[in-house]
Amino acid sequence: MSVELRINNSSDPRARYVSWAPTPCTIRVSSPVGIPGPSPVTVVLQNRANGTGGQVVFRTTLTSAPAATLTLQLPLDGASVSFFVAGRFGQPSVTDQDAIIEVRRGATVLGTATCMVRIRKNANALTTGERDRFIAALATLNNQGAGRFVDFRNMHTNAGSPEAHGAAGFLPWHRAYLLDLERELQAIDASVALPYWRFDQPAPNVFSRGFMGVPDNLGTVQFTPGNPLQFWRTDGVPGINRRPFFNTATAGASVISEAATLALGTNYARFRNMEGSPHGSAHTSFGGFLSSIPTAARDPLFFLLHCNVDRLWGKWQRQNARFDAAQPTSYDSNLPTGNRIGHNLPDTMWPWNGVTGGQRPPTAPGGTLAASLSATAPGPQPRVRDMLDYQGIVSNLARLGFGYDDVPFA
Amino acid sequence: MTARKRAKKTAKTTKRSAKKGATKTSSAAATKRSKTAAKRAVAGTEVVGYKAAWRVANNAKQSDDARTTALISLGSAACDDSDVFAGLIVLLRDTATSLAVRLGVLAALQAASFSTIRFAACRPTYMTALRAVAKDPAFEMRQRALGLLMREGDGRAQTMLIEGLENPAKALLPPEKALQLLAYDVKSEAYPLARRIVERPPNADAKREALRLLAADAKSTKLFERILRDKSETGDVRQISAAALQSLAPEALQTYARDMVLDHAESPELQTMSLTLLTQFGDADALTKDARLGERVAALHSSADSHAVKQGAEQFIGKYTRGSDADRA
Repeated sequence: MSVELRINNSSDPRARYVSWAPTPCTIRVSSPVGIPGPSPVTVVLQNRANGTGGQVVFRTTLTSAPAATLTLQLPLDGASVSFFVAGRFGQPSVTDQDAIIEVRRGATVLGTATCMVRIRKNANALTTGERDRFIAALATLNNQGAGRFVDFRNMHTNAGSPEAHGAAGFLPWHRAYLLDLERELQAIDASVALPYWRFDQPAPNVFSRGFMGVPDNLGTVQFTPGNPLQFWRTDGVPGINRRPFFNTATAGASVISEAATLALGTNYARFRNMEGSPHGSAHTSFGGFLSSIPTAARDPLFFLLHCNVDRLWGKWQRQNARFDAAQPTSYDSNLPTGNRIGHNLPDTMWPWNGVTGGQRPPTAPGGTLAASLSATAPGPQPRVRDMLDYQGIVSNLARLGFGYDDVPFA
Repeated sequence: MTARKRAKKTAKTTKRSAKKGATKTSSAAATKRSKTAAKRAVAGTEVVGYKAAWRVANNAKQSDDARTTALISLGSAACDDSDVFAGLIVLLRDTATSLAVRLGVLAALQAASFSTIRFAACRPTYMTALRAVAKDPAFEMRQRALGLLMREGDGRAQTMLIEGLENPAKALLPPEKALQLLAYDVKSEAYPLARRIVERPPNADAKREALRLLAADAKSTKLFERILRDKSETGDVRQISAAALQSLAPEALQTYARDMVLDHAESPELQTMSLTLLTQFGDADALTKDARLGERVAALHSSADSHAVKQGAEQFIGKYTRGSDADRA
């Protein structure tokens, strides 16, 4: 007898990536040879013990409790049985496909399926392999200034800034921006997840020549000869300018703490003031590219900085149960006036909507938001509302396919 | 008097004394509270209301440390409150205020500027103030202001920097810093100036930054080829030359990188850079078939003295010999 297990309801290996959110799966008997009928056969799904690799939990339905194993009855006629898989919180993968699901009938292993519990992690705590895969993918995306990264650079300029800053849509816009970049990186190396720079803590491993680099006396960032970011190029000029105004080896940036950030307010209208502090303060803790909107995205550290901004939002959302766009406290709709276009819940977001002119910027670089086999949301032209329920807590279909190492599902 | 009544009387007296004592020390305590609260906002537990933070930041009797800490927690209030904004601009331009506080003001204003829509009304005044402090007596203030202006594409700042390069008596910044900032908005008019600096550099940093600025200049291709092949040049300028050639002459660069790996007399630094370049950006078809290069890389992997070269060789082998799965380990 053999079985077929589909993760994310797909047989495509590129779909075998899960986060903390329940991911729909199916299993069916692909060959009933050796099993006397007609009764369904009982199988048990479980993790194979694998040391430091990813582990998953199983659910029969979205509302059932997660469990380390799952017993299912499989019809012998090949009909599929649905269930859900999610990463076990605290046990993300370290390498690609290191989470192994075994399907057993008694002592017999009928089949296995690998997947990766792919999670955004603290950049200062990455393994060497995780770090190197990330920077290799990033350098490939940049391709010495000739790659797709140029679109991401051009999305974050003064022309596009009103779409992304200074109003309620600041957090949803940047969440979409990061997701788009991350999915492009995953098209290069599917094992990559965007790491975050926890800017209120020292991060000596981040600010090292093997990772984001160390500046010389002028603020020109230096890398090891083996670091592909040494070939980073934007706007036709090689190199990165970054001059920290704090000791990167021993201190965090000059920002308010995480605890203080999460305490800014229990409704979104107050919480979004984090745009000024700690977000703005993190940017201006440096001289160089990061300190100005039109050049900030030229520095790859920008994406790690904003990943932490997004993580803080995700943490605040969980702390206050603010995933539901229908709840007034989950977003600042600025009623009755409403917000600037692009910042209201039903609005599509530039540049992914391709709209130019009028109140929108003159160009829309990059096209639609990248698709993923791990999540159908938010779609190619996301709306502001599509970015709130990122873990699919209100609706499983809304999950965006990422999670943070220190923000559980529920 | 009963014991109970005596205890009650004692408690009342104690309370009155405490109140008297509190009044005497209230102003010192208030200062200490505001300093402590401002520090706590950064250290851990609470965010101070912005008005309290501004009172600390704007108080010349407070320490620089307390004032700069308070400035961090202003956030969007730096522009939302017109009185606070006006006060910040005054502090920024006041050369009698300590440099540390003025730089903290600059950081607070720049942080607020990230909220584009909210900052829009403040921007013209802010930019005017930046242009004023671009000529500040303090070097660090000039450096930061000119950097911010150049990143905004400010034509006046560009003119000031070019004038300083052409006439050192007018220089607001050292040449290497001026060149670095000019690269934010590269104009072809700057190329002849940069080429002159490469030929006669005032220092090594200036040469390096001039080369970086020239990286998109097609007329400088031969210059970069010469520098890349010249072992007497420093590693950093040879690396910049390699980076420049990737867009100016990519096929030639792959040849040069290959030559540097094959060259037994090449430095480990440049060999590692070349291996990384070929692994990351090389022509996969050509490199997979290059037996001579493959043998050399295998030899480097097994016997190079440099750990970095060995690692570079391993990554090359992983990509062009074992296939793409190997680098997932």
